[in-house]
Amino acid sequence: MTGTTVTATQEKQAQGGTGETRTINLIQAVTEALAEEMERDSRVVLFGEDVGARGGVFMATAGLQERFGQARVFDTPLSEASIVGAAVGMAVRGLRPVAEIQFADYMGPGFDQIISQAAKIRYRSGGQFTAPLVIRTPSGGGVRGGHHHSQSPESYYTHTPGLKVVMPSTPYDAKGMLKAAIRGDDPVIYFEPKRLYRASKGEVPNHDYTVKLGEAAIRQRGKDLSLIGYGGVMPDLLKAAEALAAENVSVEVIDLRSLVPWDQDTVLQSVEKTGRAVLVSEAPRISNFMGEVAYVIQEQGFDFLTAPVGQVAGFDTPYPYVQDKIYLPGPNRIVAACVKALNY
Amino acid sequence: MIEPFTPDPIRFIAEDGQPTQDLPPQYTPELLRELHRAMLQAREFDRKLINMLRQGRTTFYAQSSGMEATQVGLARSIRVGHDWVWPYYRDHTLGLAMGMPMMELVSQMLGTNTDTCRGRQMPHHFASRKLNFVSVSSSIASQVPPAAGNAMAQKYLGTDEITVCTFGDGATSEGDWHAGLNMAGQAGAPALFVCENNQWAISTNLRGQTASENIHIKARAYGMPGFYVDGNDIVAVMEVCKHAAEWVRGGNGPALVECLTYRVGSHSNADADAEKSYRTREEVGVWLAKDPIGRLEKLLESLGHPIEAEERANLIAGTHREVDDCILRAEASGQPDWRIMFEDVYADLPSHLRAQEQALRSEQEALR
Repeated sequence: MTGTTVTATQEKQAQGGTGETRTINLIQAVTEALAEEMERDSRVVLFGEDVGARGGVFMATAGLQERFGQARVFDTPLSEASIVGAAVGMAVRGLRPVAEIQFADYMGPGFDQIISQAAKIRYRSGGQFTAPLVIRTPSGGGVRGGHHHSQSPESYYTHTPGLKVVMPSTPYDAKGMLKAAIRGDDPVIYFEPKRLYRASKGEVPNHDYTVKLGEAAIRQRGKDLSLIGYGGVMPDLLKAAEALAAENVSVEVIDLRSLVPWDQDTVLQSVEKTGRAVLVSEAPRISNFMGEVAYVIQEQGFDFLTAPVGQVAGFDTPYPYVQDKIYLPGPNRIVAACVKALNY
Repeated sequence: MIEPFTPDPIRFIAEDGQPTQDLPPQYTPELLRELHRAMLQAREFDRKLINMLRQGRTTFYAQSSGMEATQVGLARSIRVGHDWVWPYYRDHTLGLAMGMPMMELVSQMLGTNTDTCRGRQMPHHFASRKLNFVSVSSSIASQVPPAAGNAMAQKYLGTDEITVCTFGDGATSEGDWHAGLNMAGQAGAPALFVCENNQWAISTNLRGQTASENIHIKARAYGMPGFYVDGNDIVAVMEVCKHAAEWVRGGNGPALVECLTYRVGSHSNADADAEKSYRTREEVGVWLAKDPIGRLEKLLESLGHPIEAEERANLIAGTHREVDDCILRAEASGQPDWRIMFEDVYADLPSHLRAQEQALRSEQEALR
């Protein structure tokens, strides 16, 4: 990915190291984060379907079983309810489990474990028991996977208090946010935009760092319009911004990265400056998380707005197979939404 | 010799109170009397709390009357405070027998400031960090996969703890139940699964749950022994659960125990007087005759150590006084107000919750 990443956290953390960096892709960032956290903390264990000798269907855990042993990196029965439920029990008993759900589309059988156990055990026990776990799962479309390998179910989880829900789009964020999730004391649903696994390349520092959950990243500064997205659509936002730059439109591109909690301040400050916002995600439109962002923008930024808040989302159909590329927002549809806001 | 997969429930005391086989020597009259006290205390706790429900002082209660031998027997078979328990919502007798203070239970039922769960859950959903008694979830069988994970963590950490997971017969129809037992079996985790088969899930009886002859045989499919025990026989429950617990503790993987008992009361306040709709008084009568407390009293009598009427009356009156005292003290502590509503959602208070808390604060202060 191109674009500058500027947040206070990153600037501060960059000062801590040697300044040396390497270029890796997003899946490598996930693997590195897992390996480093396992190295750092013996309570961290990894498990899921085919994550051991196979290294996961996307190779996120490649080599980790060999390196850390079968007690810490292991395959489970093919049962998402078991995987998520076991993670809850392990976390309650004092481990730091990182469970992989092979595709976000398959979290359904584990849904009750997430919403009834993981999300609520701290609250319902009055803080006596906690479930500091991470569920990593590839999500989103663009890999010709049909509806059971392409959906974006994040809104099911953002609607459940007690969960943190994040979706990084760069190697830097993927690594730093996964480390922060593992070290944190809350259950985190960590969505990985699978079409960026190898497409998203970027620099990561050689030193240890984390990216605080709950902070957005400004990928590109601009003054005419705030273009806000997260996950797999982020490269399309940058392409749209580039196309608009050719028309002398200055677009500020924001990557939310974290949905719960989300960075209202960064978004509102941007909209105060630009007066226009277009929100992009590939999830279906009804109950799309961006509806919440739009609500807060109109509630708290009404006086700044010079146009209605625009939205580009997936269609309210099941995710199609053949029309995969048409379904996804894409730069053209994003540009059109921006033009509509600019011409209002 | 305790064997799994017996065709009939393992039993030491017949329904008429006579031993069916020699009792192990540790079951002295003193121990039997102590078990009787624990069971009768739990029965009277039930009676008092049902009254409290009927008075409208609490909103939900799930009786465990008739199931005392199962729950007290299980509590006496594990290392309390060392082993971990993932219970279900009808387990207050298990909690009491593990040493959970009556005050904690009553406080949770009333949601008062003395509730260690801070008034966050409906009544009868207690928890105790001190006893490793994990918070109850209403979602049936949702404790089973976490119990498997808890046991997997114990194995990973190299402890000699076990994880006890309880559930009713209805739970065995849930996907999570099968998922959890399968996971525990595959992982060889030290989990003791205990089915408190009271034969009714609200208004659905065991035949309405499964075509399986019974519950414990399902263990075979998950690669673990399944024990079948008369859940109204305190000695049998203790002998079987101790045997299964030590087998699990010995690194042999999980085990399942089915305690055959009966819910003589209603499910909750939702179906008061169940005998008017879904079951007969005759059926309840049959099971009242197998009552675990009465059975133990008959055994003690035949051993020449009867529970005297006065002693029994004193125990009942003492329990009632204790519950009354707990209710008064709990109610006097008041209920948590809105200020703690936003705590314990996350480890820290995120900004959106801080904003919501401030909004609620303004609303509430304006009402003063």
